[in-house]
Amino acid sequence: MLNTKKIIMKKNIFFNLAIIFLFVSINCGGDNKKNKSDNVEIVFWHSFISSTVPALNELIQKFEKENPGYKINAQYIPSGDPLIQKLITSIQSKTAPDISWLHSDFIEDLVEADAIYKMDQFIKGKDGISEEDLNDIYPSLLQYSSWKETLYSLPMEATNLALLYNKNMFKKAGLDPNHPPQTWEELKSYAKKLTIDKNNDGTFDQVGFFVPVFPAAGPLGSWMVWQFTPFLWQAGGSLIDKEQTKVLYNSDAGVQALTLWQEMYNDQKLSTFTNLFENAFVSGSLAMAMDGPWNLPRYKELLKNIDWAFAPLPSGPAKNATVVGGEYLAIFKQSKNPDVAWKFIKWMIQPEVQAFWSMKSGYLPIRHAVSEVPEFKEYLKNHSDFRVFVDQLEFGRAEKMDYEALEITRNFAEAIERATVGKVDVKRALDESAEKSNKLLKNARE
Amino acid sequence: MISTSPEVQEEKLILASSIKGGKNKLHGKEKKGDLLPALLFLSPTLIIFTTFILFPVFFSFYLSFHEWNMFSGETTFIGIDNYVRMFNNEEFWEVFKNTAIYTFGTIPLNMCFSLLVAYILHKKIMGKKLLRTAFFAPVVISPVAAAVIWRWMYDPNFGLINYSIGIFGIDPINWLNDPVAAMAALIIMGVWKTFGINMVLFSAGLQAIPEHYYEAAQIDGANQWTKFWNITVPLLAPTTFFIMVMSIISSFQVFDIVYVLTSGGPLGATKVLVFYVYEHAFKFFNMGYASAAGYVLFAILFAITLLQVKYMKNKVYTFG
Repeated sequence: MLNTKKIIMKKNIFFNLAIIFLFVSINCGGDNKKNKSDNVEIVFWHSFISSTVPALNELIQKFEKENPGYKINAQYIPSGDPLIQKLITSIQSKTAPDISWLHSDFIEDLVEADAIYKMDQFIKGKDGISEEDLNDIYPSLLQYSSWKETLYSLPMEATNLALLYNKNMFKKAGLDPNHPPQTWEELKSYAKKLTIDKNNDGTFDQVGFFVPVFPAAGPLGSWMVWQFTPFLWQAGGSLIDKEQTKVLYNSDAGVQALTLWQEMYNDQKLSTFTNLFENAFVSGSLAMAMDGPWNLPRYKELLKNIDWAFAPLPSGPAKNATVVGGEYLAIFKQSKNPDVAWKFIKWMIQPEVQAFWSMKSGYLPIRHAVSEVPEFKEYLKNHSDFRVFVDQLEFGRAEKMDYEALEITRNFAEAIERATVGKVDVKRALDESAEKSNKLLKNARE
Repeated sequence: MISTSPEVQEEKLILASSIKGGKNKLHGKEKKGDLLPALLFLSPTLIIFTTFILFPVFFSFYLSFHEWNMFSGETTFIGIDNYVRMFNNEEFWEVFKNTAIYTFGTIPLNMCFSLLVAYILHKKIMGKKLLRTAFFAPVVISPVAAAVIWRWMYDPNFGLINYSIGIFGIDPINWLNDPVAAMAALIIMGVWKTFGINMVLFSAGLQAIPEHYYEAAQIDGANQWTKFWNITVPLLAPTTFFIMVMSIISSFQVFDIVYVLTSGGPLGATKVLVFYVYEHAFKFFNMGYASAAGYVLFAILFAITLLQVKYMKNKVYTFG
């Protein structure tokens, strides 16, 4: 009696264990599934917005067609913080992708973790690319692809900022709709003319120029800094010195640029204006804003009731400048097929592929030679707004911060927020922020 | 009140002996063998608890004395440096202040409002169940989704709230771009989001108050207010105490609605402790420093709760 009970119990335990193992093995089975067709598969992480995904799928199909035997498994990871968080855990758990699409700021941490390859290994390898090809890529993009002047990635696409404006509002305000603001002074005076209080209730029903101010610590903080840097450069300033020992954004140029933002922010009472600038533009309560090319495909539909156009950013007291950004492809050391991963990147940066990708996705090409591709030339003729962005690439500038870039960017964002929303003296806001950043830099370099 | 009737005492004896010799009586004659199946059956919970709660708790304590590079996995012991750095950091005190403002702004409002609603719904009124569900709904809604909606409602141009108050001739309020208004906006949403659960707790407390107290008071000529103040409030004290302790803890831990609604802005006015922890842990990857901040939060909550228990427990239970 006693023994049988014991046996039954034991049997039950084994039965339960068997079920557990069954489940575990089923789950593991999914991951280890062999690719039956013997294709070499490359896992590619990216964070493209949903409107770009169809273009990406076409791109991948094109690659797979031109390179039989290889398969790209594209996986979406939410952009920004989640992307880097997921990369960290994947590196620790040895499940890193073969290639990942990265923000430039992430390269520092990935290099320190010894997680990604130097590009030289492939560029100068058997299946490499020529020095000429490499130098055809816009230098600002190569700067962002590197860390401490060593290349760790290559750009997949480029972006920059231009000025989006409403032509009808220009006409109504007595401005020439084919003459968008060329200088800071014009930007300021146009903004003033376009800012209107229709019913005299003390709040503006229409705002001239949207100054993109967001909470410094929030997810849009670095986005705000990114949009501010062209103004800093246009005034002749820099973010950081060449040796990367101290930040320079509190220079006179920085003060000049931030003063412009502060004045426009307060004159137009933007603190009581929505920070959803797209909605404001669509609803006809905003005349000008800075924006990137990735929205062009969407705007055809979204802004069909508005007579809109893009113009180059106005030039500052010192020069023309726009910010250049992009996303960068790096190959992970945990990849089993780094050579295949390289094959994809090498294919990706060819002028023809870049032209194809650019026309499909609305992102900008990464190299000069693309302008020579006939289809692309034709495309530019018919897409004048897109052309504005492509032409501007020549003024695109970059400044790569090699140490503590994320925290320094946050500090800079704080200064911008304090000067605009907080109405703190510009010089003071910048100096206090720079002091914090310099302390960080000093610690990081030790 | 101890019942002395013989039947009850016998029952108690049986219960006691079955607890003492429980293993023998309830589960046959097994002794050692019981442990293994028990562990096996508990193992899913135990494994999850250990990996996701117990281990992180101790590991983050360990980390708070280290500098940890998450990418390479290297740890360097730095003693109490993280704590020293934090206490010397102005921003930390700023953040601490914001958390306190949020907590002491939300709790009184939250408690008054949830008690009021619970009291009204305790009366026999029409559509009681529907109303209770409606008031409880915000608790169930995902905080992120709710905060996205509230951000729209607070929008100065397209927002419902400014539009509504505009009908009454009130000037638009700059909800999310003014440090004071943003904190108020956060508190309003925080109260909206959490008062439902307290309302349910108060309802349960109200139902536990025997009706005859009210009847006795009525005979003595007490009006609604005296009944409320002299019967309901004191008899609800244990519930109130419980709600207060839990609310303080949850308000100190507020994060998701801050992240979505204000992102800590404007000018850092709504940056609360957990947001600060998040920023350092998952934006700048100073895991050690963030762990230290997490432990400071733990210490604060522990101290507040201890104080509450010490000074309020006696008061609470002398009633009733």
